[in-house]
Amino acid sequence: MPDGSYERPQQRQFNPYSENGGTILAIAGADFSVIAGDTRQSEGYSIQTRYAPKVFRLTERAVLAVNGFAADGNMFVKKVKQRLEWYRHAHAKDMPLRAIARLIQTMLYAQRFFPYYVYNILGGIEEDGTGAVYSFDPVGSYEREACRAAGAAQSLVQPFLDNQIYFKNQTPAPGASHPTHLPLPDVLSIVIDSFTSATERHIEVGDGLEIYVVLAKGRSTQELASIGGLQELSTRAEGDRMFVIRRDLKKD
Amino acid sequence: MFLTRSEYDRGVNTFSPEGRLFQVEYAIEAIKLGSTTVGVKTPEGVVLAVEKRVQSPLLESSSIEKIMEIDTHLGCAMSGLTADARTMIDHARVTSQNHAFTYDERIKVESATQAVCDLALRFGESVHDEDAMMSRPFGVALLIAGIDELGPQLFHTDPSGTFVRYEAKAIGSGSEAAQSELQDKWHSQMTLREAQILTLRVLKQVMEEKLDHHNVQLAQVTPQAGFEILDEVRLKEIVDAM
Amino acid sequence: MNSFADRFATTGTAAELRRIKEYVADDEDVSDSMWGSEAGFGTMAHGAPDFMVPSVPDPAAFLRLHTDDHADPSCRIKIKHGTTTLAFRYKGGVIVAVDSRATAGSYVASGTVKKVIEINPYLLGTMAGGAADCQYWETYLGMQCRLHELRNHERISVAAASKYLSNLVYSYKGMGLSMGTMICGWDKTGPAIFYVDSDGTRLKGDLFSVGSGSTFAYGVLDQGYHWDLTDEEAQELGRRSIYAAGHRDAFSGNTINLYHVKEQGWQFIGNYDVSEMHYNGPTGTQGYGYSVRVEGRSSANPPV
Repeated sequence: MPDGSYERPQQRQFNPYSENGGTILAIAGADFSVIAGDTRQSEGYSIQTRYAPKVFRLTERAVLAVNGFAADGNMFVKKVKQRLEWYRHAHAKDMPLRAIARLIQTMLYAQRFFPYYVYNILGGIEEDGTGAVYSFDPVGSYEREACRAAGAAQSLVQPFLDNQIYFKNQTPAPGASHPTHLPLPDVLSIVIDSFTSATERHIEVGDGLEIYVVLAKGRSTQELASIGGLQELSTRAEGDRMFVIRRDLKKD
Repeated sequence: MFLTRSEYDRGVNTFSPEGRLFQVEYAIEAIKLGSTTVGVKTPEGVVLAVEKRVQSPLLESSSIEKIMEIDTHLGCAMSGLTADARTMIDHARVTSQNHAFTYDERIKVESATQAVCDLALRFGESVHDEDAMMSRPFGVALLIAGIDELGPQLFHTDPSGTFVRYEAKAIGSGSEAAQSELQDKWHSQMTLREAQILTLRVLKQVMEEKLDHHNVQLAQVTPQAGFEILDEVRLKEIVDAM
Repeated sequence: MNSFADRFATTGTAAELRRIKEYVADDEDVSDSMWGSEAGFGTMAHGAPDFMVPSVPDPAAFLRLHTDDHADPSCRIKIKHGTTTLAFRYKGGVIVAVDSRATAGSYVASGTVKKVIEINPYLLGTMAGGAADCQYWETYLGMQCRLHELRNHERISVAAASKYLSNLVYSYKGMGLSMGTMICGWDKTGPAIFYVDSDGTRLKGDLFSVGSGSTFAYGVLDQGYHWDLTDEEAQELGRRSIYAAGHRDAFSGNTINLYHVKEQGWQFIGNYDVSEMHYNGPTGTQGYGYSVRVEGRSSANPPV
């Protein structure tokens, strides 16, 4: 109307959230942990960038993958890193993995009434040298698991992992039994296959793949020798070792 | 005029020209009036022992509480104004529980000690808009014993908020004699049993009354059982063996 | 100017500044207590947890808009929900049985959720409603119970623990918390169960079931319950009731977790796969499913 008023009632709402696609996944082995994510970032049907990392190194032995709303995710990772540094100054040690898991719960829950729109998966090596994966919902409920997929292609990837990692709906041959933990090369193949397949069937997945591998102290790195695109991230050769594998995914 | 040493001993936040904070120094003096408290660290755990001054036969000695639990892996013995110690120990307990809640792990002995000392320094001044919490320094010293990933540890804190780690430490009225006795008798490979007997022997030397299982209290922190105050039966057995 | 009056004024520059500060939501994690020994207890820095709330007229409506997947299945943030839980009191203590499925909308977000929260060695809490709400507040309750124990040289009673929780969630009433829990334990008065929910309800009772599958669980439970059950019968009743819910309620299932609270504290009895219970039962000899009982006789597979 000419006087600035409206003809009909208007309704507005505060919507600070967006969804940026992509998928993350983590698998724990007996003495290693693999955490991966694609690098595409999109909004609706348009791709914003082909390289936006979703997986972050937190300590020598902990990696955090974040999926959902990228702005919230990046802010959250920044705050987690800040808390880890404060902890290091106060207690003169790196925060153990299970402590990071609990910290993430309390940080997510602090936003219970204004949640971060993020799905977190934390992977790494526990104090006892075992590989571990923790998965979180946006307000901080968490659980330690052997494997977990989250994000856009969660419903494509998780059933595949259930079948390949937990051997769900597979009957072992007579006299045989399913292994409790898979060897590293098998896990890496499963991760790569998960992402190439998700790229084929989900429009929000693709472009690049980053796979973080954390190996427990003293474990052989032999199985990684033949892997292409490998880069070591650990600063010390003794202690736990961390590697990242960067691969291309289809870009269409 | 005042008969006190100087005009500078009244404000908790005023340095004297010589650079001293008299109120803090007086608070440290208050500990020397307290009952003797001894702590000994061994590779097997830490032992704490206190003298209970039973001033009257009508006093129920079991109601004197001078050793307190902070958490399953942390204990504390006090000397000085025990009422002040309760505030400090409650702060240590809350900090320890907050740590467990936030990080799903036990707090380190040094971190718990640091938390207590942070509180000890909060006299005089208020933080931000908060109302001042305390008007004077705490008049108590603590021996904090505990076990974490670095093994058994014993810390001593005083009213100035300073903390130091010790192998063996005595505080309170008999501390000077007790400390030199500890220096003579302590060795690095003591068993827990030897430490229990040593702490009681040291207490016995400095106590006016005859030591028995009513006027001392003994506690220990071990990797197996964590913090525990020894009951009269176990205490009597050690007193008899001494 | 009068600085005291200024502090509480609703108009003027000071008030304006204060409003801006509130709007920008002064970074909650950066304060002096973040440094030193307390190195960032974060929300716990001020003693009790505090929460960031969006600067909108109705924060609860904001939260509902983005997280309530019942009202709007396409809402963005899908909070995990828990489903069938039960607990009952009998002469041998308390039996606690739960399923392990968590759903986000119609997606099975997890089949391995621990819906029994081990508050401490003699108190258990169950999880129904928002998974995070139950997990967080029951862990918090555990911490408060431990402090009670240290300060009073005595274990907290189940009544006191449940009251603490109920007062706590009541203080957030209307903000959107969702939890329905049973606090189970054994204290000086014997075995006890209290039902506590986020509306502020707190009930003492002998038998409860909570969650979308509770009606199915009650059906079995009410029929088989009496005070003088043996331990084995009681455990079987708990297991059988959760199985029934897992079988008939789409939002419940996967596995059953069974706990038994006795005088010396709780004990974990076992984890049982719902499908395994259907076909083979807990002993592997007789499944709970009725297909074996109608074989060759029902309309689906009539006699030849």
